[in-house]
Amino acid sequence: MSTPSDALSCGHSLADLSEYLDTGQIGDPGHLAECPECQSGLASLRRLAALGNELLDADTAAAGSGSDDWMKTILGNLRLELRPGRSIPLRADTPGDVLTETEGSVSALIRSVADSLPGAAAGKCRLYGDLTEPGAPITVGVELAVVYGHPLEQRAATLRQELATVLSRQTELNITAIDVTITDVLEPRNPGPGAPAAGAPVAGAPAPTVGPGGPPTPQEKP
Amino acid sequence: MTDSPSAPHQLDLVPDALLAGRAADGDTAAFEALARRHGPVMRASARRLTGSLADADDVVQESLMQAWKQLHTLRDGDAVKGWLLRITGSRSIDHLRRRKTHADLGDLDHRLEAGARTAEKEHPEHAALSGSRMDALKAALAALPEEQRRCWVLRAFNDQSYEEIAQTLNISTASVRGRLARARISLAREMEDWR
Repeated sequence: MSTPSDALSCGHSLADLSEYLDTGQIGDPGHLAECPECQSGLASLRRLAALGNELLDADTAAAGSGSDDWMKTILGNLRLELRPGRSIPLRADTPGDVLTETEGSVSALIRSVADSLPGAAAGKCRLYGDLTEPGAPITVGVELAVVYGHPLEQRAATLRQELATVLSRQTELNITAIDVTITDVLEPRNPGPGAPAAGAPVAGAPAPTVGPGGPPTPQEKP
Repeated sequence: MTDSPSAPHQLDLVPDALLAGRAADGDTAAFEALARRHGPVMRASARRLTGSLADADDVVQESLMQAWKQLHTLRDGDAVKGWLLRITGSRSIDHLRRRKTHADLGDLDHRLEAGARTAEKEHPEHAALSGSRMDALKAALAALPEEQRRCWVLRAFNDQSYEEIAQTLNISTASVRGRLARARISLAREMEDWR
């Protein structure tokens, strides 16, 4: 697969070096450190890789923010719909009527309760048990992320209580357990409206914005 | 269902894995937060691959639709960015294949360079800093044969492995290795003057 011009006089080719940069694999790794030709080829390919990262960062910056109109248009066109999940039967007052609600609507209810706690956001949310059988025992599993500075156990306990109340009022499920797992502690940053006001320690300066996906720059301030 | 009022602000702090888990459960707000976070790099990649901003937005939209439908297949939520970029790569290539049937390749390079010039007008301060060097890279990239440029962009922008690129382009990994090497040799040679 080599082109004539990419062969080095040491026997390696630039194609070998190009693959080595991606995979770390080459026939005789010991040779690389001692061969000036390979070293210069590698240096040139590494400079190109750095320029490629620079172009990616510039293009990503030029693409604009995800909060801009272009993304709003795209999200508007998508019209995402909540996934319905399983059907949960509801008691009907009139015999013969079949009433159901969806698992997705119950999950959304659980998430909205968790998200309304100060400094907390729901993660995955699962209903375990036979939802399609009225009165069957159901266990709720919720993952919760809490912003640093908020009391973890208290948030989990509050969530358990509030979910028990809300679910018994708004659903007919026979909830036998509510398991809350704290999966993340989030770093507070640039608190917006609705974010915790006092109490959460906020770094002195807003975090520097790094291009999404860009590697951290090695510059360090003293 | 109503969106929770705190969602837009709070979800922007939340790590990828958590958002991906919620989105897989059917949470549209979590999915939109992921789209806002990774949309710009998807758009950047699609723009280099397709050579036009309008096509890039079509590709991003198609990619997000596919991602929404297939989120339950994503096992590791932390890998959601790479996964979105893989989808973006495939959709970009599909887009090019469809377009090739009614447009000739001649205007592709032209459109690519035109896109680059527009990007600079939008960000003059960046252009002043490193614009000429980036201009040179954009021009060298635009001058590459189409199949080499695809390999290079999928590797450098979408961070795909040889196997993934081979799959996306429907060629062998040996071809990926060869095309990528030739692309890099040409680009490195062009960029020697810009050290």
